Amino acid sequence: MSDVNRFEELVLPHLDAGHNLARWLTRNPDDAEDVVQEACLRALKYIGALHGNEARAWFLTIVRHAFYDWCRSNRPAEITHDDGSAIEMAIDDAAIDPEQAALRGAESRLLANAVAELPLAYREVLILRELEELSYKEIARIADIPIGTVMSRLARARSLLQRSPLMYVIGERKSGYER
Amino acid sequence: MNCNEAVTLVAAYADGEIDGPRGDLLKKHLLGCAGCATQYQSVLALRAQLRAEIPYFPASPALRARVGAVIGAMDAALPSRPRPAIDRWRWLTGGALAGCTATILAWVLGTAVIDWRASDDLAVDAVTTHVRATLSNRLIEVASSDRHTVKPWLSARLDYSPPVQDLADEGFALTGGRLDTLKSQPVATLVYRYRQHTIDVFVRPASAHAPPPALRTVRGFNVAHASGSGMDWLAVSDVSADVLSPFVQRLARADAAP
Repeated sequence: MSDVNRFEELVLPHLDAGHNLARWLTRNPDDAEDVVQEACLRALKYIGALHGNEARAWFLTIVRHAFYDWCRSNRPAEITHDDGSAIEMAIDDAAIDPEQAALRGAESRLLANAVAELPLAYREVLILRELEELSYKEIARIADIPIGTVMSRLARARSLLQRSPLMYVIGERKSGYER
Repeated sequence: MNCNEAVTLVAAYADGEIDGPRGDLLKKHLLGCAGCATQYQSVLALRAQLRAEIPYFPASPALRARVGAVIGAMDAALPSRPRPAIDRWRWLTGGALAGCTATILAWVLGTAVIDWRASDDLAVDAVTTHVRATLSNRLIEVASSDRHTVKPWLSARLDYSPPVQDLADEGFALTGGRLDTLKSQPVATLVYRYRQHTIDVFVRPASAHAPPPALRTVRGFNVAHASGSGMDWLAVSDVSADVLSPFVQRLARADAAP
Protein backbone atom coordinates (compact mmCIF):
# COMPACT_ATOMS: atom_id res chain seq x y z
CA MET A 1 0.00 0.00 0.00
CA SER A 2 1.33 3.40 -0.87
CA ASP A 3 1.79 6.08 1.76
CA VAL A 4 -1.13 8.05 0.38
CA ASN A 5 -3.41 5.02 0.55
CA ARG A 6 -2.35 4.36 4.09
CA PHE A 7 -2.97 7.99 4.95
CA GLU A 8 -6.44 7.90 3.43
CA GLU A 9 -7.31 4.70 5.21
CA LEU A 10 -5.83 5.39 8.64
CA VAL A 11 -5.70 9.15 9.12
CA LEU A 12 -8.57 10.66 7.13
CA PRO A 13 -11.23 8.96 9.31
CA HIS A 14 -9.87 11.05 12.20
CA LEU A 15 -9.87 14.38 10.39
CA ASP A 16 -12.97 15.49 12.35
CA ALA A 17 -11.30 14.70 15.68
CA GLY A 18 -8.13 16.47 14.58
CA HIS A 19 -10.03 19.53 13.46
CA ASN A 20 -12.12 19.64 16.63
CA LEU A 21 -8.97 19.59 18.74
CA ALA A 22 -7.27 22.24 16.59
CA ARG A 23 -10.38 24.40 16.69
CA TRP A 24 -10.57 24.31 20.49
CA LEU A 25 -6.83 24.96 20.81
CA THR A 26 -6.63 27.85 18.32
CA ARG A 27 -10.15 29.13 19.04
CA ASN A 28 -10.26 30.38 15.48
CA PRO A 29 -11.66 28.64 12.37
CA ASP A 30 -9.00 29.72 9.86
CA ASP A 31 -6.06 28.99 12.14
CA ALA A 32 -7.54 25.58 12.99
CA GLU A 33 -7.67 24.63 9.31
CA ASP A 34 -4.07 25.75 8.80
CA VAL A 35 -2.95 23.65 11.76
CA VAL A 36 -4.85 20.59 10.49
CA GLN A 37 -3.37 20.95 7.01
CA GLU A 38 0.14 21.15 8.43
CA ALA A 39 -0.61 18.14 10.64
CA CYS A 40 -1.79 16.14 7.62
CA LEU A 41 1.44 16.86 5.77
CA ARG A 42 3.45 15.68 8.76
CA ALA A 43 1.22 12.62 9.16
CA LEU A 44 1.81 11.67 5.54
CA LYS A 45 5.53 12.14 5.96
CA TYR A 46 5.74 9.92 9.03
CA ILE A 47 2.96 7.49 8.17
CA GLY A 48 5.54 4.70 8.11
CA ALA A 49 5.89 5.07 11.89
CA LEU A 50 2.18 4.43 12.50
CA HIS A 51 1.42 0.91 13.62
CA GLY A 52 -1.77 -0.90 14.46
CA ASN A 53 -5.01 0.64 15.56
CA GLU A 54 -3.89 3.71 17.43
CA ALA A 55 -4.30 6.04 14.48
CA ARG A 56 -6.57 8.50 16.27
CA ALA A 57 -4.25 9.13 19.22
CA TRP A 58 -1.29 9.21 16.84
CA PHE A 59 -2.89 11.81 14.58
CA LEU A 60 -4.08 13.91 17.54
CA THR A 61 -0.51 13.95 18.84
CA ILE A 62 0.64 15.33 15.51
CA VAL A 63 -2.17 17.92 15.46
CA ARG A 64 -1.17 19.04 18.94
CA HIS A 65 2.49 19.37 17.96
CA ALA A 66 1.53 21.28 14.83
CA PHE A 67 -0.57 23.59 16.97
CA TYR A 68 2.23 24.31 19.46
CA ASP A 69 4.68 25.02 16.65
CA TRP A 70 2.14 27.34 15.06
CA CYS A 71 1.45 28.96 18.41
CA ARG A 72 5.13 29.56 19.12
CA SER A 73 5.49 31.61 15.97
CA ASN A 74 2.07 33.31 16.02
CA ARG A 75 0.96 33.69 19.63
CA PRO A 76 4.01 33.05 21.83
CA ALA A 77 2.38 34.89 24.76
CA GLU A 78 -0.33 32.26 25.00
CA ILE A 79 2.06 29.47 25.87
CA THR A 80 4.18 31.31 28.44
CA HIS A 81 1.68 33.53 30.22
CA ASP A 82 -1.36 31.34 30.29
CA ASP A 83 -1.50 30.51 33.99
CA GLY A 84 -5.22 30.56 34.57
CA SER A 85 -5.54 34.04 36.00
CA ALA A 86 -7.71 35.13 33.07
CA ILE A 87 -10.47 32.66 33.80
CA GLU A 88 -10.23 33.28 37.54
CA MET A 89 -10.84 36.95 36.80
CA ALA A 90 -13.61 36.16 34.35
CA ILE A 91 -15.31 33.99 36.94
CA ASP A 92 -15.01 36.64 39.63
CA ASP A 93 -16.45 39.26 37.30
CA ALA A 94 -19.34 37.10 36.32
CA ALA A 95 -20.05 36.07 39.88
CA ILE A 96 -21.67 39.40 40.66
CA ASP A 97 -25.18 38.50 39.67
CA PRO A 98 -26.36 35.11 38.42
CA GLU A 99 -29.60 36.57 37.16
CA GLN A 100 -27.77 39.02 35.03
CA ALA A 101 -25.64 36.17 33.74
CA ALA A 102 -28.83 34.35 32.77
CA LEU A 103 -29.99 37.37 30.82
CA ARG A 104 -26.79 37.48 28.84
CA GLY A 105 -28.09 34.87 26.46
CA ALA A 106 -27.84 31.24 25.62
CA GLU A 107 -26.21 29.18 28.36
CA SER A 108 -24.53 26.99 25.83
CA ARG A 109 -22.66 29.95 24.47
CA LEU A 110 -21.56 30.80 27.97
CA LEU A 111 -20.37 27.28 28.66
CA ALA A 112 -18.54 27.21 25.35
CA ASN A 113 -16.96 30.54 26.30
CA ALA A 114 -15.93 29.20 29.69
CA VAL A 115 -14.24 26.23 27.99
CA ALA A 116 -12.55 28.50 25.47
CA GLU A 117 -11.28 30.67 28.34
CA LEU A 118 -9.63 27.73 30.10
CA PRO A 119 -5.83 27.89 30.06
CA LEU A 120 -4.36 25.89 27.22
CA ALA A 121 -2.96 23.10 29.40
CA TYR A 122 -6.36 22.45 31.00
CA ARG A 123 -8.39 22.99 27.84
CA GLU A 124 -6.55 20.33 25.86
CA VAL A 125 -6.95 17.55 28.44
CA LEU A 126 -10.62 18.45 28.92
CA ILE A 127 -11.39 18.31 25.18
CA LEU A 128 -9.47 15.04 24.76
CA ARG A 129 -11.33 13.44 27.69
CA GLU A 130 -14.86 14.79 27.39
CA LEU A 131 -15.27 15.20 23.63
CA GLU A 132 -12.86 12.62 22.24
CA GLU A 133 -13.37 10.16 25.12
CA LEU A 134 -9.73 9.19 25.29
CA SER A 135 -8.32 7.28 28.25
CA TYR A 136 -5.86 8.85 30.70
CA LYS A 137 -3.11 6.77 29.13
CA GLU A 138 -3.85 8.04 25.64
CA ILE A 139 -4.11 11.65 26.83
CA ALA A 140 -0.82 11.29 28.70
CA ARG A 141 0.85 10.13 25.50
CA ILE A 142 -0.70 12.83 23.34
CA ALA A 143 0.06 15.70 25.72
CA ASP A 144 3.41 14.18 26.71
CA ILE A 145 2.74 14.41 30.46
CA PRO A 146 2.51 11.78 33.25
CA ILE A 147 -0.90 10.26 34.01
CA GLY A 148 -0.89 12.00 37.40
CA THR A 149 -0.65 15.34 35.63
CA VAL A 150 -3.53 14.38 33.32
CA MET A 151 -5.64 13.75 36.43
CA SER A 152 -4.70 16.96 38.21
CA ARG A 153 -5.25 19.09 35.10
CA LEU A 154 -8.62 17.47 34.47
CA ALA A 155 -9.64 18.10 38.07
CA ARG A 156 -8.55 21.72 37.76
CA ALA A 157 -10.39 22.21 34.47
CA ARG A 158 -13.56 20.75 35.94
CA SER A 159 -13.44 22.80 39.09
CA LEU A 160 -12.90 25.99 37.07
CA LEU A 161 -15.94 25.20 34.95
CA GLN A 162 -18.05 24.15 37.92
CA ARG A 163 -17.20 27.27 39.86
CA SER A 164 -18.40 29.33 36.97
CA PRO A 165 -21.73 30.97 37.93
CA LEU A 166 -23.12 29.78 34.67
CA MET A 167 -23.31 26.22 36.02
CA TYR A 168 -25.26 27.59 38.94
CA VAL A 169 -27.67 29.40 36.63
CA ILE A 170 -28.29 26.28 34.60
CA GLY A 171 -28.82 24.24 37.76
CA GLU A 172 -31.47 26.72 38.85
CA ARG A 173 -33.26 26.56 35.55
CA LYS A 174 -33.31 22.79 35.51
CA SER A 175 -34.90 22.57 38.93
CA GLY A 176 -37.36 25.20 37.69
CA TYR A 177 -38.55 22.85 34.96
CA GLU A 178 -39.24 20.08 37.41
CA ARG A 179 -41.46 22.17 39.61
CA MET B 1 -13.10 2.18 51.72
CA ASN B 2 -13.23 5.52 53.55
CA CYS B 3 -13.81 9.03 52.20
CA ASN B 4 -10.16 10.00 52.22
CA GLU B 5 -9.40 7.12 49.93
CA ALA B 6 -12.54 7.50 47.83
CA VAL B 7 -12.20 11.20 47.21
CA THR B 8 -8.98 10.74 45.26
CA LEU B 9 -10.58 8.11 43.04
CA VAL B 10 -14.03 9.53 42.30
CA ALA B 11 -13.10 11.49 39.18
CA ALA B 12 -11.05 8.63 37.75
CA TYR B 13 -13.97 6.31 38.43
CA ALA B 14 -16.34 8.66 36.58
CA ASP B 15 -13.83 8.62 33.72
CA GLY B 16 -14.04 4.84 33.51
CA GLU B 17 -10.46 4.40 34.66
CA ILE B 18 -11.14 2.29 37.73
CA ASP B 19 -12.57 -1.19 37.51
CA GLY B 20 -12.09 -4.57 39.15
CA PRO B 21 -12.20 -4.98 42.93
CA ARG B 22 -11.20 -1.36 43.55
CA GLY B 23 -14.10 -0.20 41.39
CA ASP B 24 -16.48 -2.44 43.31
CA LEU B 25 -15.28 -1.07 46.64
CA LEU B 26 -15.70 2.48 45.42
CA LYS B 27 -19.14 1.74 44.02
CA LYS B 28 -20.18 0.43 47.41
CA HIS B 29 -18.80 3.51 49.12
CA LEU B 30 -20.70 5.82 46.75
CA LEU B 31 -23.96 4.09 47.63
CA GLY B 32 -23.45 4.87 51.30
CA CYS B 33 -21.75 8.27 51.21
CA ALA B 34 -23.74 11.29 50.10
CA GLY B 35 -20.70 13.58 49.92
CA CYS B 36 -18.67 11.42 47.56
CA ALA B 37 -21.78 10.52 45.55
CA THR B 38 -22.50 14.22 44.95
CA GLN B 39 -18.97 14.74 43.76
CA TYR B 40 -19.28 11.77 41.42
CA GLN B 41 -22.60 13.02 40.07
CA SER B 42 -21.17 16.47 39.47
CA VAL B 43 -18.51 15.04 37.14
CA LEU B 44 -21.19 13.16 35.20
CA ALA B 45 -23.45 16.22 35.08
CA LEU B 46 -20.67 18.44 33.78
CA ARG B 47 -19.84 15.87 31.13
CA ALA B 48 -23.46 15.60 29.98
CA GLN B 49 -23.70 19.35 29.80
CA LEU B 50 -20.43 19.73 27.88
CA ARG B 51 -21.43 17.11 25.35
CA ALA B 52 -24.88 18.55 24.90
CA GLU B 53 -24.00 22.20 24.79
CA ILE B 54 -20.52 22.96 23.56
CA PRO B 55 -19.98 22.64 19.83
CA TYR B 56 -18.02 19.82 18.21
CA PHE B 57 -16.18 21.08 15.16
CA PRO B 58 -15.93 18.49 12.38
CA ALA B 59 -13.67 19.21 9.41
CA SER B 60 -15.49 21.24 6.76
CA PRO B 61 -15.84 19.86 3.21
CA ALA B 62 -13.56 22.71 2.13
CA LEU B 63 -10.84 21.54 4.52
CA ARG B 64 -11.22 17.95 3.31
CA ALA B 65 -10.83 19.13 -0.27
CA ARG B 66 -7.81 21.22 0.70
CA VAL B 67 -6.16 18.29 2.48
CA GLY B 68 -6.92 16.03 -0.49
CA ALA B 69 -5.31 18.48 -2.89
CA VAL B 70 -2.22 18.99 -0.75
CA ILE B 71 -1.76 15.28 -0.20
CA GLY B 72 -2.18 14.64 -3.91
CA ALA B 73 0.46 17.23 -4.71
CA MET B 74 2.82 15.73 -2.15
CA ASP B 75 2.28 12.31 -3.63
CA ALA B 76 3.15 13.50 -7.12
CA ALA B 77 6.27 15.23 -5.82
CA LEU B 78 7.55 12.32 -3.77
CA PRO B 79 10.98 11.52 -5.14
CA SER B 80 10.81 7.90 -4.05
CA ARG B 81 8.49 6.93 -6.89
CA PRO B 82 10.42 6.32 -10.06
CA ARG B 83 8.28 7.25 -13.04
CA PRO B 84 8.72 5.16 -16.16
CA ALA B 85 9.86 6.85 -19.33
CA ILE B 86 6.75 8.07 -21.12
CA ASP B 87 6.29 7.63 -24.81
CA ARG B 88 3.71 9.57 -26.75
CA TRP B 89 1.12 6.76 -26.88
CA ARG B 90 1.31 6.03 -23.25
CA TRP B 91 0.86 9.66 -22.54
CA LEU B 92 -2.21 9.84 -24.76
CA THR B 93 -3.92 6.73 -23.39
CA GLY B 94 -2.90 7.80 -19.93
CA GLY B 95 -4.58 11.14 -20.48
CA ALA B 96 -7.78 9.56 -21.78
CA LEU B 97 -7.81 7.11 -18.92
CA ALA B 98 -7.28 9.87 -16.39
CA GLY B 99 -10.17 11.80 -17.93
CA CYS B 100 -12.50 8.80 -17.63
CA THR B 101 -11.37 8.08 -14.11
CA ALA B 102 -11.93 11.67 -13.08
CA THR B 103 -15.47 11.64 -14.48
CA ILE B 104 -16.35 8.38 -12.75
CA LEU B 105 -14.71 9.53 -9.55
CA ALA B 106 -16.67 12.78 -9.59
CA TRP B 107 -19.92 10.87 -10.07
CA VAL B 108 -19.17 8.32 -7.35
CA LEU B 109 -18.05 11.05 -5.00
CA GLY B 110 -21.16 13.11 -5.74
CA THR B 111 -23.60 10.30 -4.97
CA ALA B 112 -21.54 9.21 -1.99
CA VAL B 113 -21.69 12.73 -0.59
CA ILE B 114 -25.48 12.87 -1.07
CA ASP B 115 -25.91 9.50 0.68
CA TRP B 116 -23.50 10.55 3.35
CA ARG B 117 -25.34 13.83 3.95
CA ALA B 118 -28.65 11.97 4.32
CA SER B 119 -27.30 9.43 6.79
CA ASP B 120 -25.29 12.10 8.54
CA ASP B 121 -28.46 14.06 9.15
CA LEU B 122 -30.04 10.91 10.55
CA ALA B 123 -27.14 10.47 12.98
CA VAL B 124 -27.33 14.13 14.00
CA ASP B 125 -31.09 13.84 14.39
CA ALA B 126 -30.68 10.74 16.56
CA VAL B 127 -28.12 12.44 18.81
CA THR B 128 -30.30 15.55 19.15
CA THR B 129 -33.27 13.38 20.12
CA HIS B 130 -31.15 11.44 22.62
CA VAL B 131 -29.80 14.62 24.22
CA ARG B 132 -33.21 16.27 24.37
CA ALA B 133 -34.71 13.21 26.07
CA THR B 134 -31.85 13.03 28.56
CA LEU B 135 -32.02 16.70 29.49
CA SER B 136 -35.80 16.94 29.74
CA ASN B 137 -36.14 13.90 32.01
CA ARG B 138 -38.49 12.19 29.60
CA LEU B 139 -36.03 9.41 28.90
CA ILE B 140 -38.57 6.72 29.66
CA GLU B 141 -42.31 6.66 29.06
CA VAL B 142 -42.84 3.01 29.88
CA ALA B 143 -40.48 1.94 32.63
CA SER B 144 -39.95 -1.79 32.77
CA SER B 145 -37.21 -4.33 32.47
CA ASP B 146 -39.79 -6.80 31.19
CA ARG B 147 -39.88 -7.00 27.42
CA HIS B 148 -43.43 -8.35 27.62
CA THR B 149 -44.47 -4.97 29.02
CA VAL B 150 -42.38 -2.75 26.78
CA LYS B 151 -43.18 -4.47 23.47
CA PRO B 152 -47.01 -4.29 23.69
CA TRP B 153 -46.80 -0.68 24.88
CA LEU B 154 -44.81 0.25 21.77
CA SER B 155 -46.83 -1.92 19.38
CA ALA B 156 -50.03 -0.26 20.54
CA ARG B 157 -48.69 3.13 19.51
CA LEU B 158 -46.94 2.30 16.23
CA ASP B 159 -47.83 0.59 12.98
CA TYR B 160 -45.08 -1.97 13.55
CA SER B 161 -43.93 -4.12 16.41
CA PRO B 162 -40.26 -3.78 17.29
CA PRO B 163 -38.43 -6.83 18.69
CA VAL B 164 -37.55 -6.15 22.34
CA GLN B 165 -34.88 -7.99 24.31
CA ASP B 166 -33.42 -7.59 27.77
CA LEU B 167 -29.68 -8.29 27.73
CA ALA B 168 -29.11 -7.71 31.45
CA ASP B 169 -26.99 -10.83 31.78
CA GLU B 170 -24.64 -9.34 29.16
CA GLY B 171 -24.46 -6.04 31.03
CA PHE B 172 -27.12 -4.20 29.03
CA ALA B 173 -30.21 -3.89 31.19
CA LEU B 174 -33.44 -2.91 29.51
CA THR B 175 -34.88 -0.03 31.53
CA GLY B 176 -37.85 0.96 29.38
CA GLY B 177 -39.03 2.52 26.16
CA ARG B 178 -40.55 5.64 24.68
CA LEU B 179 -41.82 7.09 21.44
CA ASP B 180 -39.77 9.57 19.43
CA THR B 181 -39.79 11.05 15.98
CA LEU B 182 -36.79 10.58 13.76
CA LYS B 183 -36.75 12.25 10.35
CA SER B 184 -40.38 13.18 11.14
CA GLN B 185 -41.38 9.49 11.38
CA PRO B 186 -42.57 8.02 14.67
CA VAL B 187 -39.99 5.59 15.97
CA ALA B 188 -39.72 3.14 18.88
CA THR B 189 -36.94 3.93 21.30
CA LEU B 190 -35.61 1.25 23.64
CA VAL B 191 -33.63 2.50 26.61
CA TYR B 192 -30.80 0.40 28.01
CA ARG B 193 -28.39 0.95 30.83
CA TYR B 194 -24.78 -0.12 30.55
CA ARG B 195 -22.74 0.61 33.70
CA GLN B 196 -23.22 4.37 34.21
CA HIS B 197 -24.33 4.98 30.64
CA THR B 198 -27.69 5.31 29.01
CA ILE B 199 -28.07 3.81 25.56
CA ASP B 200 -30.96 4.82 23.33
CA VAL B 201 -31.79 2.36 20.57
CA PHE B 202 -34.06 3.64 17.81
CA VAL B 203 -35.83 0.80 16.01
CA ARG B 204 -37.77 1.24 12.79
CA PRO B 205 -38.69 -0.95 9.85
CA ALA B 206 -35.81 -1.41 7.41
CA SER B 207 -36.02 1.17 4.65
CA ALA B 208 -34.83 1.22 1.08
CA HIS B 209 -32.61 4.21 1.76
CA ALA B 210 -28.86 3.89 1.83
CA PRO B 211 -27.95 2.58 5.29
CA PRO B 212 -26.10 5.00 7.52
CA PRO B 213 -22.44 4.24 8.26
CA ALA B 214 -21.92 1.48 10.84
CA LEU B 215 -20.38 3.97 13.21
CA ARG B 216 -20.20 7.74 13.52
CA THR B 217 -19.35 10.19 16.24
CA VAL B 218 -21.58 13.24 16.55
CA ARG B 219 -20.75 15.86 19.18
CA GLY B 220 -18.96 13.25 21.25
CA PHE B 221 -21.77 10.70 21.11
CA ASN B 222 -21.30 7.46 19.26
CA VAL B 223 -23.98 6.44 16.78
CA ALA B 224 -23.85 2.77 15.75
CA HIS B 225 -26.09 1.21 13.13
CA ALA B 226 -27.06 -2.35 12.27
CA SER B 227 -29.76 -4.03 10.18
CA GLY B 228 -31.53 -7.25 11.02
CA SER B 229 -34.86 -8.86 11.88
CA GLY B 230 -36.43 -6.64 9.22
CA MET B 231 -35.53 -3.54 11.21
CA ASP B 232 -33.00 -0.70 11.21
CA TRP B 233 -31.27 -0.34 14.57
CA LEU B 234 -29.60 2.89 15.55
CA ALA B 235 -27.91 3.07 18.95
CA VAL B 236 -26.84 6.39 20.45
CA SER B 237 -24.76 6.70 23.59
CA ASP B 238 -21.66 8.08 25.20
CA VAL B 239 -20.26 4.57 25.72
CA SER B 240 -17.22 3.78 23.66
CA ALA B 241 -17.61 2.52 20.12
CA ASP B 242 -16.13 -0.91 20.84
CA VAL B 243 -18.99 -1.54 23.27
CA LEU B 244 -21.78 0.09 21.28
CA SER B 245 -21.15 -1.54 17.89
CA PRO B 246 -21.25 -5.17 19.08
CA PHE B 247 -24.29 -4.35 21.21
CA VAL B 248 -26.37 -2.98 18.34
CA GLN B 249 -25.30 -5.86 16.11
CA ARG B 250 -26.29 -8.29 18.84
CA LEU B 251 -29.75 -6.68 19.04
CA ALA B 252 -30.22 -6.83 15.30
CA ARG B 253 -29.26 -10.49 14.96
CA ALA B 254 -32.27 -12.38 13.70
CA ASP B 255 -31.74 -15.57 15.75
CA ALA B 256 -31.71 -13.60 18.98
CA ALA B 257 -35.01 -11.88 18.34
CA PRO B 258 -37.99 -13.36 20.16
